[in-house]
Amino acid sequence: MFLARIEGTVVSSTKHPTLDGCRFLIAQRLEADGSAGSEPIVIVDWLGAGRGDTVVVSTDGDIARVRLGNTTPARMVVVGIVDPLQSSDCARQGSQ
Amino acid sequence: MRLGMVRGHVVLNPAVPAFRGKTLVVLEPVTMDNLRARNGLGGGKSLVAIDALGAAQGQMVAFTEGREAANPFWPNAVPVDAYCSLIVDAIDVQP
Repeated sequence: MFLARIEGTVVSSTKHPTLDGCRFLIAQRLEADGSAGSEPIVIVDWLGAGRGDTVVVSTDGDIARVRLGNTTPARMVVVGIVDPLQSSDCARQGSQ
Repeated sequence: MRLGMVRGHVVLNPAVPAFRGKTLVVLEPVTMDNLRARNGLGGGKSLVAIDALGAAQGQMVAFTEGREAANPFWPNAVPVDAYCSLIVDAIDVQP
């Protein structure tokens, strides 16, 4: 799992059938010093994260397989939104 | 998933039997700078992925890597490590 900052949303009408109805976000992976990775990632979100939020992303596809079926290619899923008031600096820096 | 620009298609002959009838595309991953600039460039190290959606050259797709890339072929064992999961219609990021 890693920290990522939400940068925007993806709209797609042609996708794997198991992904119908999923919400896709663009995010950038965050390092401990708050710097962001160079490549954006596309993640599935069921928690309602929005632009600017710092989230924890899991790269294990099991949670997606449980919800979307065994044949889903979904892998990166938002497993939580960072609470900026209760987290340490390294997790907070991303949302500033 | 990462984002990639479709740069072409690959035809294999011969290929392992599990690849029969499957389409392969060459993808160039997109960096955040190029995504914000909306310049149609990629910038990453290119790779080959299986595409069942019919993505055309120049389109942007999101592709899954790793074990999950083979999930669509479950329960068959197919030696896939990249799979085009969706074709991007629009992306909303601040420039």
